[in-house]
Amino acid sequence: MKINIEGLLVYFPYDYIYPEQYSYMLELKRTLDAKGHGVLEMPSGTGKTISLLSLIVAYQRAFPLEVTKLIYCSRTVPEIEKVVEELRKLMEFYSKETGESSNFLALALSSRKNLCIHPEILHANIVVYSYHYLLDPKIADLVSKELAKKSVVVFDEAHNIDNVCIDSMSVNITRRTLDRCQNNVDTLQNTIRNIKETDAAKLKEEYRRLVEGLKEANVARETDVYMANPVLPDEILQEAVPGSIRTAEHFVGFMRRFLEYLKARLRVHHVVQESAPQFLKDVFDKVCIDRKPLRFCAERLRSLLRTLEIADITDFSPVTLISNFATLVSTYSQGFTIIIEPFEDRTPTIANPVLHFSCMDPSIAIKPVFERFQSVIITSGTLSPLDIYPRILDFRPVTMASFTMTLARTCLCPLIVGRGNDQVALSSKFETREDFAVIRNYGNLLLEMSAIVPDGIVAFFTSYVYMENIVASWYEQGILENIQRNKLIFIETPDASETSMALEKYQEACENGRGAVLLSVARGKVSEGIDFVHHFGRAVIMFGVPYVYTQSRILKARLEYLRDQFQIRENDFLTFDAMRHAAQCVGRAIRGKTDYGLMIFADKRYARADKRGKLPRWIQEHMSDGSLNLTVDETVQLAKHFLRQMAQPFRQEDQLGLSLLTLEQLESEEILQKITQIAHQA
Amino acid sequence: MASLSEEVLLVVKKVRQKKQDGTLYLMAERIAWGPEGKDRFTVSHLYADIRCQKISPDGKAKIQLQLVLHTGESTTFHFANESSALKDREAAKELLQQLLPKFKKKANKELEEKNRMLQEDPVLFQLYKDLVVSQVISAEEFWANRLSINNTDHSLSNNKQEVGISAAFLADIRPQTDGCNGLRYNLTADIIESIFRTYPTVKQKYGENVPHNLTEKEFWTRFFQSHYFHRDRINTGTQDIFSECAKQDEKGLKSMVVQGVKNPMVDLLSLEDKTLDEGYGVSTAPSTSNSNKTVKENSNSAIIKRFNHHSAMVLAAGSRKGETSSTDGNSRDSDFFQPPVKKVKLQESIEYEDLQRENGPKTVALNLKKSDRYAHGPVPLQSQQYTTSQDIINSVNCIRHEMANYKPNLTQVLSNSTASSAIAALSPGGVLMQAGAQQAINRKCNDWCNLTLT
Repeated sequence: MKINIEGLLVYFPYDYIYPEQYSYMLELKRTLDAKGHGVLEMPSGTGKTISLLSLIVAYQRAFPLEVTKLIYCSRTVPEIEKVVEELRKLMEFYSKETGESSNFLALALSSRKNLCIHPEILHANIVVYSYHYLLDPKIADLVSKELAKKSVVVFDEAHNIDNVCIDSMSVNITRRTLDRCQNNVDTLQNTIRNIKETDAAKLKEEYRRLVEGLKEANVARETDVYMANPVLPDEILQEAVPGSIRTAEHFVGFMRRFLEYLKARLRVHHVVQESAPQFLKDVFDKVCIDRKPLRFCAERLRSLLRTLEIADITDFSPVTLISNFATLVSTYSQGFTIIIEPFEDRTPTIANPVLHFSCMDPSIAIKPVFERFQSVIITSGTLSPLDIYPRILDFRPVTMASFTMTLARTCLCPLIVGRGNDQVALSSKFETREDFAVIRNYGNLLLEMSAIVPDGIVAFFTSYVYMENIVASWYEQGILENIQRNKLIFIETPDASETSMALEKYQEACENGRGAVLLSVARGKVSEGIDFVHHFGRAVIMFGVPYVYTQSRILKARLEYLRDQFQIRENDFLTFDAMRHAAQCVGRAIRGKTDYGLMIFADKRYARADKRGKLPRWIQEHMSDGSLNLTVDETVQLAKHFLRQMAQPFRQEDQLGLSLLTLEQLESEEILQKITQIAHQA
Repeated sequence: MASLSEEVLLVVKKVRQKKQDGTLYLMAERIAWGPEGKDRFTVSHLYADIRCQKISPDGKAKIQLQLVLHTGESTTFHFANESSALKDREAAKELLQQLLPKFKKKANKELEEKNRMLQEDPVLFQLYKDLVVSQVISAEEFWANRLSINNTDHSLSNNKQEVGISAAFLADIRPQTDGCNGLRYNLTADIIESIFRTYPTVKQKYGENVPHNLTEKEFWTRFFQSHYFHRDRINTGTQDIFSECAKQDEKGLKSMVVQGVKNPMVDLLSLEDKTLDEGYGVSTAPSTSNSNKTVKENSNSAIIKRFNHHSAMVLAAGSRKGETSSTDGNSRDSDFFQPPVKKVKLQESIEYEDLQRENGPKTVALNLKKSDRYAHGPVPLQSQQYTTSQDIINSVNCIRHEMANYKPNLTQVLSNSTASSAIAALSPGGVLMQAGAQQAINRKCNDWCNLTLT
């Protein structure tokens, strides 16, 4: 159908539309009109991707000078492929409706193996790739820095975007890294010696260039040709490369010295934590290395590798890592922390020193994106609470909205199980984690559910260790054997290929009618990347609240930073983080309006307002006061009732006018009013 | 001759039957005999009708061959050629020996099929009793009707579903203490069958060792004592005969994992576009060495592995028979070629069925083998009153046909009173319409059978 979104003609490649899709597009258009950033939450399975694509493509066609490019970032390869597939569908619809073959150029980059940095990326109307191409400065500098300012950037599935940002800026250095780096430096030295004998002019040319400094890059950035790079700070662009590292030999010697210093730092017997300025002071005191040359390290190494015409730079990843570290640590006095641990906490007897250079501020990596592009859209099925993302990513959105899923029948059933039948409070909290009664009641819950839920059940645990312990104790108590009477059991393992196989078998068992239970881990790969549509997931059980492991020093440092810099209380952040993962887990089961599934939160803490309130609106609004502190038996009764209702035939007519609209309905004044009303309930 | 197209395999002259000289013919599908000088057979038996052949003992004066039929009748041939009587009979006997088993199989198969149908369908059995046993129609006529109906859904009826294996079969053999410091395991034939089907390696071991090396009891005792059975215990003894099974399982599991998954949407390995380069990221990868794992952790992960393996084996055992392993033409050797499975899965995952105009509801036909049972539920079988819907439809058609061809015989009309009483009897509620209600139900149940599931 062709719809009118506040005067913009949007081609939408379906015969019907969900009301929330209309609201979503409306909000999106306003964001683009305002040339600002937006945060939009809409449940998965309500056609978010096609709404985004339809509107932005229409916008591009209507205002080719205002928006020149769409940069669509998603997280996983299957997600990227789905976007491409939906785009293809949209393009087919366009050419069918307009009768002309589309002159739109779309480009998808996936998998680094076939990474092509074709100049076409600059001319493409739509670019689809993974987050890293924009957020990881090492790749962004290669792929994305020349993308036009008048682009719209979309981060889909963005609920974990802060972690992606942090990961791309953090560095870990072990003894092995240093040893391999040592080899790199030796190789570099030999290569330099060889080249000096054969082609000394090349090195002289490089020296001349370095005296000129990075003026070229500076000009480019000032004239807005390039996106900023957090590893290449503005200040150093205006200066020449310091004399101490200008010649190739001097630079190699400089790296050697820095390397020796790091080796010495790893020879510690107790944990050390310090800030970047403290570290720099220590470097200066010990080996007389100044801050200034350190800042040029990354750029200087890149120039050297270019000059030496080294083909395979992956061999030099250790020395690149160290030079990136050097630049980062000397550039940012805030937002990073250095932690040196002599051994792992679990194994204090085995020396395995690691230097963590940890980024605590996700806004550092994403800042260039917000600054460069006129509209950045952060969107996902679970972004609650919405206001936390602008705070931790440090940007000011022009629109923030959470859309619920309009439903003709309530196809999701969130239940909070707080007690066992013996009134034992259920919780995964640390004090009762080993409690036999809790584990037994959890087992009982799964057993009862396996008897009444058809096809597939997915259960998530808060961590892998926790799951292992529970599985072992269920095994000893014979609970697993009883579950096997109803369904097959498959369990996630730390090995990805083993888990893939278990997943496939799980689906096979759901497909052929046997039914199966999948035991899995929140924050794991399954919980983040695998959908359990229809019969592959009729119930999701979340055992416990998936808090992150709080004893980690890195996390503690980050929490402190959040408190000091953003006034976010530690507990608020931890709860937010736990709830976004819980929402991700339970959301895996509902992938559309024709789908249905139970969402069982098995921990009494979910009933508290501070937890419940952080769940997405589309889940929260289906929680009734009566379903907040159920026993296992009560849960089973409610679940039975729900499943029986859902098993009734569900036709398109049932949805029409309520959760599904025709073009005529969409044009009626009355329905439009209703849509706005629903959208503004938030 | 009767039919020239028939292939004659053997001709024996001078064979007497009922004291009459004649010629014996062995043909492709029957054996026949015709008296001398006449060109027709007076005796002809299909091989399929013959139960067995008998010969007169050597040394007897008369050299004879007797054919016993399934019906119990028999025919005797006397080989009367003085010079080669014995040779003639041997030739006939040997040829029959080759031919009969072939037809016997066919006959048996048919018999089995008939038997199975009768057993599975009590209504049909009742009908058989009513019609054939009471000699209303002959068995051939009965089956001639039946088999033609059945042949159409023959493929369906042949495609009988295997009964799967309970995933909890090992749980059913919970040991009980026998009171004197021992354990008792209760094994049934079903459980043994389940173990064999799920773990073919155990079956292989059984075949190798029982009964020459071990008695059956010893074998199972060792099985339950073995570390194979108690997989969570880590150290597998080397003298254990099941240690090899464990190794083979391990191998099987590994090869399954190496093979990878067919469905790219569940392949966790290719989920991420780019993992961070080594050295970057907040969390370091946990050390993968097993050395610093505690015994408990090792045992826990062994349990997890065991469950995954067990479930996979049970699943495989359920689908092993009948289905040939599905080949989907998914070639993996090319990176540039997008495998069809992937394309299909992708299309599936972006489909919004309710956003599209419905092109006819997608339905799955309900495949009912016993429609009556579906419509009525389990009710005790009442003989006589039970007619299948097909029978009723047939008879309705029959009546309709009769009615169409009805011509009043005006010379023999009924009197007024007789006619009105007949009409009353034939009206709903009348004496002759007792079966009407039943018929309505059956009509309805016939409609239900055409129900489709949406």
